Amino acid sequence: MSSPTVPTGATAQGRPAGSVRSLVAAIGSALGPVRATLSYLEVDTRLLGMVLALAIIWVGFGIVSGGTFLSPRNLWNLSVQSASIAIMASGMVLIIVSRGIDLSVGSMLGFLGYTMAMTQAVWIPQVLGLGFGQPYTWIVTILFGILLGALLGGLQGFVVAYAGVPSFIVTLGGLLVWRGLIFRYAQGQTIAPLDQNFQMLGGGTVGTRVGALGEWASWILGAVICVGIVFTLITARRRRHRYGFPVRPLWAEVMLGLVGCAAVMGVMWVANSYPLPINVAIQYAQEHGIPIPPDGLFIPTGLAFPVVIMLGVTLVMTFIASRRRFGRYVYAIGGNPEAAALAGINVRRTVMLTFSLLGALVAISAAVQTARLNAAVTNLGIQNELDVISAAVIGGTSFSGGIGTIPGAILGAVVMQSLRSGMVLLLVDSPTQDIVVGLVLVAAVGLDTFVRRGSR
Amino acid sequence: MARRIAILAAGLALLVSACGGTSGGGASPAATTAAAAATTAAPAACTVGVSWNNYQEERWAKWDEPAIKAALAAGGGKYVSNDAKSSAETQATNVDNLISQGAKVLIVLAQDGTAIKPAVAKAIQNGVAVISYDRLIEDSKALYITFDNVLVGKLEAQAVFKAKPTGNYVVIKGNKADANADFLRSGMDQVIGDAVKSGAIKIVGETYTDNWDPSKAQTEMEQFLTANKNNVDAVLSENDGMAGGVVAALTAQGLAGKVPVSGQDGDKAALNRVALGTQTVDVWKDSRALGKAAGDAAMQLCKNSDLTKVTGTAPFKTPGGNTVSSILLQPNPITKDNLKDVLSAGWITKADLCQGVAAGKVADCN
Repeated sequence: MSSPTVPTGATAQGRPAGSVRSLVAAIGSALGPVRATLSYLEVDTRLLGMVLALAIIWVGFGIVSGGTFLSPRNLWNLSVQSASIAIMASGMVLIIVSRGIDLSVGSMLGFLGYTMAMTQAVWIPQVLGLGFGQPYTWIVTILFGILLGALLGGLQGFVVAYAGVPSFIVTLGGLLVWRGLIFRYAQGQTIAPLDQNFQMLGGGTVGTRVGALGEWASWILGAVICVGIVFTLITARRRRHRYGFPVRPLWAEVMLGLVGCAAVMGVMWVANSYPLPINVAIQYAQEHGIPIPPDGLFIPTGLAFPVVIMLGVTLVMTFIASRRRFGRYVYAIGGNPEAAALAGINVRRTVMLTFSLLGALVAISAAVQTARLNAAVTNLGIQNELDVISAAVIGGTSFSGGIGTIPGAILGAVVMQSLRSGMVLLLVDSPTQDIVVGLVLVAAVGLDTFVRRGSR
Repeated sequence: MARRIAILAAGLALLVSACGGTSGGGASPAATTAAAAATTAAPAACTVGVSWNNYQEERWAKWDEPAIKAALAAGGGKYVSNDAKSSAETQATNVDNLISQGAKVLIVLAQDGTAIKPAVAKAIQNGVAVISYDRLIEDSKALYITFDNVLVGKLEAQAVFKAKPTGNYVVIKGNKADANADFLRSGMDQVIGDAVKSGAIKIVGETYTDNWDPSKAQTEMEQFLTANKNNVDAVLSENDGMAGGVVAALTAQGLAGKVPVSGQDGDKAALNRVALGTQTVDVWKDSRALGKAAGDAAMQLCKNSDLTKVTGTAPFKTPGGNTVSSILLQPNPITKDNLKDVLSAGWITKADLCQGVAAGKVADCN
């Protein structure tokens, strides 16, 4: 650390960056054993850095808010609030990785949300005359929404890929067109209330029905995911053996499995530590003939449905991105489009499909948001494109293409929402929130770039 | 390929310019009906011209225009109109056109209250009376007819304050860039200000909401409930959309219907919530009352162009420092007790208003 001071101007100029580098190096050498362990574990250090950053944010808010931020209730709310942006961010990663951008997601979310609300509140019950509260309404609605989303996204993708119009322009047009269509046909009208089964998708409450898994289903889901983690580790190890690749030491595998399972069960534990709100719980108890104990009623809520959907989307998208040919093509195109085309990849088709895939994910988010609000409003999803792109970028997705992971984007969404809802909790007004989130966005990407340059 | 696109584009451009040419002077579809009205009116009928800024928006055609026409017909006036299609320049030409069509009184729904000033000033110099309709035109010689936004905020707070005169309040305000958000808030303060000072009311959460976004309002409400461990006794939401988000957050905690919530706009979904009991008040601004007031004022101005002689006017200090004659209409706070007002006015159907309301719970739904 104590580098000798050299009084000449030329070297002094280079010093600030140099001293920061030497600081980084010093910390690096002090963390030598940690780094060695990490290299055995083969963990993505950037992802680990994000988890660390998130932990700092959480603990910081936890201390300032006197523990409220870290209460199961707030974390449960936070998980639901993050879900919609996270779902879209997982699709945005693939678009940005292949060197594109989609600015239309917010407007498209509004349009799809509005269409789905019309489907369930007007078209199915009134226009087709099938009546309200049909058991199939919610599934028909969401399937229609996803299909429409994939089509509209595919349409934009088609113009980008085959007509060669830059995605920035096409989706900027989409941002205006989809929002314009809503105002044109909605005439400022709010569509509400929505189908009761559909409302469950938003994690909301209808009477005593709550849009969450409940205690046992949450534990079981946790156990299933654990088995999945262990199974994946074992098969990966076997495959490496078979092809003669180096394998992790056994203790590293065990440690990975334990940490993974502990994290999953921890999430379930938090979700189950959040009891049904007292008014809902009392009504539930009365309906089910449960006696109310003197020390109060504790009915665990469990993991919320939007979070279950988000986990499902993460799993499927990670699988597509890393294990399917399509996903590998996306990264190849992002790394070098010309080389990818010369290697025989159908670049146009792949690019169009990324937009179509995001369109379908936007439909899922639209379902979650409208269900949560129990209404479709004309300004639904306004400016969501900024949150989605920020989440992807904070999560380590690079605009120069070829770099970005789905779990990173999900974490990015959680970081963004943690900042937002943490600040509301501390009564910080919205202009200040915007300033902080803006600074964090730039700082996160700046730090990432700096570290990456340093490690080169 | 490129050439074909060029030809197509040229054709489109021609088509667009042709359309623009015919509508530039701009007789709206509504203008044709004026001829029919003219034949029934007395020979010396006073002509009233209406300049719409954007007739495509549902509201003007559905609610405002019929009310204006009815008021003119009752007073023996003649109705002419045109549409500026959201263009401030077109509107200036339109105002001139209406005068050359013989209008003695103009009702102007301004696209841009500042840009229209020269055209309005010219009209007034030519002895034509001008009514600025719904939106302020900064000209001291124009009559300003609108709903009172500060009063809307006051009425929202009054209904909630009546239900919960003490306790923890949350205030969900609209977009920080929209002056109306602050007008509404100042109206609320007229009601709860003293109680806040005395400590009877404690404001435990207050925030602006970007774009009046209901989803953001829902998140804000969830956080306020978490921070106060559900000890929130009343919510002042500035409009109906955000009230929807607030009620969704309250529902999740089993508090909907227990905590009073305010709103405004007369949204169907919000009126339904009032019937269901999850929203306390929806301050309703009936556009037809506005249309009628403008029509009546126009007929009076036909006979006497002195603005102050129009019934119900009062001086109004504008943000631009002018003092204008104004008619500020009273909005109608709709609660569970006067739902019949929106029903009998034909604003909403009974099916929409009473969807999901248990039989016998609300008098006006039976």
